[in-house]
Amino acid sequence: MSADVTLENIWIRFDDFTAVKNADITIKGGEFFSFLGPSGCGKTTLLRAISGFQELSEGKVYIGGKDMAGIGPNKRPTALIFQNLALFPLMTVWENITFSLEVKGVGKAKRLKRADELLELVALPGQADKMVNELSGGQRQRVAVARALAAEPEVLLLDEPLSALDLKLRQHLRTELREIQKRAGITFIYITHDQGEALTMSDRIAVMREGTIEQVGNGNMIYDHPETAFVASFVGENNAFHGTVSKISAGKTIVKTDAGELEATLTEGSRLSTGDKAIVFARPESMSFVNRKNSVKNVFKAKVVYQEFEGHFWHLILSGPNDKKLKMSVINSGSSHDYDEGTELQVNVNSKLAVALPSGPLAAE
Amino acid sequence: MNSASILKFFISFYIVLFFAYLFGPLIVMSITAFNSAGFPRLSPWDCFSTEWFGVLVNDARMMAGFKNSLIIGISVVLVSVPIGLAGALLLAQLSNRVRQVYYTLTISTILVPGVVLGISTLIFWDRMGMMFDVDYESFFYDGIFLTIIGQSTFISAYTMLVFMSRLQRFDPVLEEAAMDLGATNVQTFRKILLPFLKPAIGSAAVLAFLASFENYNTTVFTIVSESTLTTVLASKVRYGINPSISALAVIIITLTLCGAFVHEILKRREQAKELALKKEEKTVSVKSASRGLLSNPVPMMVLLIFVAGLTTAWMARGYDVQQCKIEVSEEKRKHQAELSKIRRVEMEKKLEAQKTDTASPSTVTTKKAAPGTNQYGNIFAPTNLEGQVESEETNPVTKKNTENQYQNIFAPTNLEGQIKSENE
Amino acid sequence: MILWFKKFFLRNGIVLSLYMLLMTFTWIVVMFVLPQVFMFDFSFRFNWTQIDPSKIGGPEDVYTLQHYKFLLFGSPNNPDPFNVVDVTVFGRTILAAVFVTLFDVILCYPVAYYLAQVAKGGITRLMMLSLIIPFWINELLRAFAFRILFGEEGTINNVLLYLGILDQPIDYVRENIALYAGLGYAYILLMIFPIYNAVESLDRNQIEAARDLGSPWWRIHWRVVIPFAKPGITSGCTMVFMLSAGALALPQIIGGPSSLWFTQIIYQWFNTGSNWPRGSAYAMSLLVICVIFVLLIMKVFKVKFGEIGR
Ligand SMILES: Nc1ncnc2c1ncn2[C@@H]1O[C@H](COP(=O)(O)OP(=O)(O)OP(=O)(O)O)[C@@H](O)[C@H]1O
Ligand SMILES: [Mg+2]
Repeated sequence: MSADVTLENIWIRFDDFTAVKNADITIKGGEFFSFLGPSGCGKTTLLRAISGFQELSEGKVYIGGKDMAGIGPNKRPTALIFQNLALFPLMTVWENITFSLEVKGVGKAKRLKRADELLELVALPGQADKMVNELSGGQRQRVAVARALAAEPEVLLLDEPLSALDLKLRQHLRTELREIQKRAGITFIYITHDQGEALTMSDRIAVMREGTIEQVGNGNMIYDHPETAFVASFVGENNAFHGTVSKISAGKTIVKTDAGELEATLTEGSRLSTGDKAIVFARPESMSFVNRKNSVKNVFKAKVVYQEFEGHFWHLILSGPNDKKLKMSVINSGSSHDYDEGTELQVNVNSKLAVALPSGPLAAE
Repeated sequence: MNSASILKFFISFYIVLFFAYLFGPLIVMSITAFNSAGFPRLSPWDCFSTEWFGVLVNDARMMAGFKNSLIIGISVVLVSVPIGLAGALLLAQLSNRVRQVYYTLTISTILVPGVVLGISTLIFWDRMGMMFDVDYESFFYDGIFLTIIGQSTFISAYTMLVFMSRLQRFDPVLEEAAMDLGATNVQTFRKILLPFLKPAIGSAAVLAFLASFENYNTTVFTIVSESTLTTVLASKVRYGINPSISALAVIIITLTLCGAFVHEILKRREQAKELALKKEEKTVSVKSASRGLLSNPVPMMVLLIFVAGLTTAWMARGYDVQQCKIEVSEEKRKHQAELSKIRRVEMEKKLEAQKTDTASPSTVTTKKAAPGTNQYGNIFAPTNLEGQVESEETNPVTKKNTENQYQNIFAPTNLEGQIKSENE
Repeated sequence: MILWFKKFFLRNGIVLSLYMLLMTFTWIVVMFVLPQVFMFDFSFRFNWTQIDPSKIGGPEDVYTLQHYKFLLFGSPNNPDPFNVVDVTVFGRTILAAVFVTLFDVILCYPVAYYLAQVAKGGITRLMMLSLIIPFWINELLRAFAFRILFGEEGTINNVLLYLGILDQPIDYVRENIALYAGLGYAYILLMIFPIYNAVESLDRNQIEAARDLGSPWWRIHWRVVIPFAKPGITSGCTMVFMLSAGALALPQIIGGPSSLWFTQIIYQWFNTGSNWPRGSAYAMSLLVICVIFVLLIMKVFKVKFGEIGR
């Protein structure tokens, strides 16, 4: 069973601070939906609003089409996996997992059986009688998932459940979570500030900044067609060239920047017009070196400051016009390239991949 | 460096003195419980005896007071633990400004003199009784009820402080997790918060009981016509004292030590548990536990006390109180005779001195101390094994007789002390 | 306010909300505040002997200041300008309480500091426990112990006589030495723990830094440790002052015959004097003066009430 979740013009204020501003989206049943944003942008607050712990200042939450106003967290068809997991330290693993059944008055034998099933599901067989503190971080993680699933929620809410784990385990659990979601067939609402996590797991992602949802879309859309300067700078690596729009034509624009006139694509429905302040975003992999001078548009001079080899890519730090720091990635084609520090090169920006967006705040480095 | 070590020496010296001040009075009092003399004192030492414990147990007023103290203590626990818990829980949910006022009010219950609390409770219920026109048999005028209420007023603040410090370490997210899993408020409270608070409930209960048990200032007003152990003690102590009170002190000190021991063990166990919760590696907790055992001085202390107790008991077996008393009185009589002899000699000397102009009163003081050392030898004098049983079986009449006899024998010196003490 | 209650009930559910509110209401209002109010009211009433019981609560049951007047000026035919006995006792009680408080600060500060900063691990625990144990023992028994020690035939006199330091026994009780020693003893714990808590949270590095800068040890205490521990010291002083001013058992048992404690006078009005309203007036006066005194001290040392008892 899965339910869709609709957030309707939600505002959440604390005294004089607004944590969530006008959140308005619908999450489809059975979807793996992620909220992505930097620390403190209001993700947890929004999640707590969905699960019923956080009162709304304005707006409505619907789960499965039902208005949740006045319904307490213990009555909502949601289960929350907390940022710090919040496993009950004084209970054993199986008692933790079947807590939701215990409070419903389910008998012990039944609960034990259910615990075994769920432990099987999260790949932790035979650990039922351990105390929680006797488990490793990854095992605890799974117990938390099992505990939430035992409540048979229609929507599972996960608040950065992997953030405390090391990289290897994180990557492993990502795929596992995704699989559990498919098997359980319920809606997952996942919170993270790790874009890699969001991109790999989610059907759709909402990017948040300071309480506002800036863009909603699948990973591909968010990465390739960011709609705001913040999204462009927050998701993946990006080089930003600030300037003013000098010319607009169908789907294209030319922006006058430090690095000369740069041509870039416009997003759909872009409201940029000539004379506006704009930023051209070019991803490291959308730039390349050219040999001839003055040959193509979108070319400028840069010097190699630092190089880093990462298998299938060379990562370079360049110093561009006005000493602007740029990042660039070049595919390792096998021939031994040598980008010695201090070498001067001509850099070309692919105008099809570069996007021009209205000027706005960027994500902190 | 040198001055630092001198400083260190002084500090250690100071600490030793401080603890001597702390324990000296208790130790001295405990020892006097075993002196057969009719007045609690260390010296002169008469005989080692446990008779004062018997006197204590046979004291009907003391026992009645003790019973009331127990009833009140338990009731105070039952009242003040739930109140303190509610108080601490509420405090955590108040907004900052209200919390200040609330906290001030609750702490005031501790700071307001106990006398004032007692009086106000007494008056309040008296007036209420008048308002509702209840008769004097009702609980509005019942000393035990009033005392329970009066004591709980400030003891609840104690328990609240205990709960507050425990709640500070509670992760409220656990409550949310339980609610999220479908638990009701009450279920969350019962299954998550209460188990977490269990050790604090224990400590709060012990604290409340002890505070109630030893309270005097409030009780003396609220108890009206009843009595508790402390009020009985107070009236006893004010009108002449005897070592049966020391015997009571010995019992309470022993119980306290045992209590401290149990408390310490429980606390350690809980700490180890919490440590284990924090650290994932089991080795850490195991290591610290073994270290804890080695460096734990409390069990050693209790063991020492236990051994000391056994030794005394063993020595007491081979020792007859009655015999000792007779010996002591014998000794005293001799001493008396000696003293009068000395006096006589002195008089003669004085007479002589009047002639020769030389006097030496210092000899008297040195002689006076001498019998004390002799008596010590007598305490451990080996005698028959049946002594203990016999002394317990001696009927009260003969006992009284011996006591009288005993007082008569060294009337001149001892009576003086007795009178003085009663005048105080 | 109503909003707060709504939120509160929503958050805790009806059962728990009612439990919390009713319990604390009973405690704070019914058990604590109302009785104080009633006592205050009662202190302005006539005594039973002065009014016909049937008229209590009637129009003739008016308020009177006579009990407070009595405390200040004594009975109408008192030749002195004020009530010499009671006012002196009052003043002496406050002074003595101040003295006991100072004695305890000086006595306890080094120990608290030692426990918090110098002693290590097991020793600290043992010392803490040994600090607490004496205070689990009945206050009256402690008073009794001091009586054994300080009696004219008491242990101290005997020891001093034996050592030849004294040639006459001293009457410690008459000299009030026993009382001060006993009161100081009784509240050691209340002084040590707040100071200990404050000093313990002081970062050792601050002390080291001061030592590095060449401060002598007394200056380190004066400039670094004591200012830091000020809330703890004030908190301890407040408690010791209030409790010693309000002590009853110790003055009754080891107080000298010449020096009454003010609480003893209150006790007499309730017991032998059988004048409850007057006793209430006296108790009220004691409470008010003590509170004013404490608030003054807090103002002087700039410590907030909220810091007490933690
Ligand atoms: N109860 C509260 N009272 C006041 N401000 C709050 C409260 N809860 C959260 N905030 C504020 O709201 C903002 C958003 O907090 P939130 O916990 O939602 O961040 P987050 O996006 O989950 O961050 P993180 O990734 O660090 O967990 C923060 O600035 C926080 O300070
Ligand atoms: Mg968060």
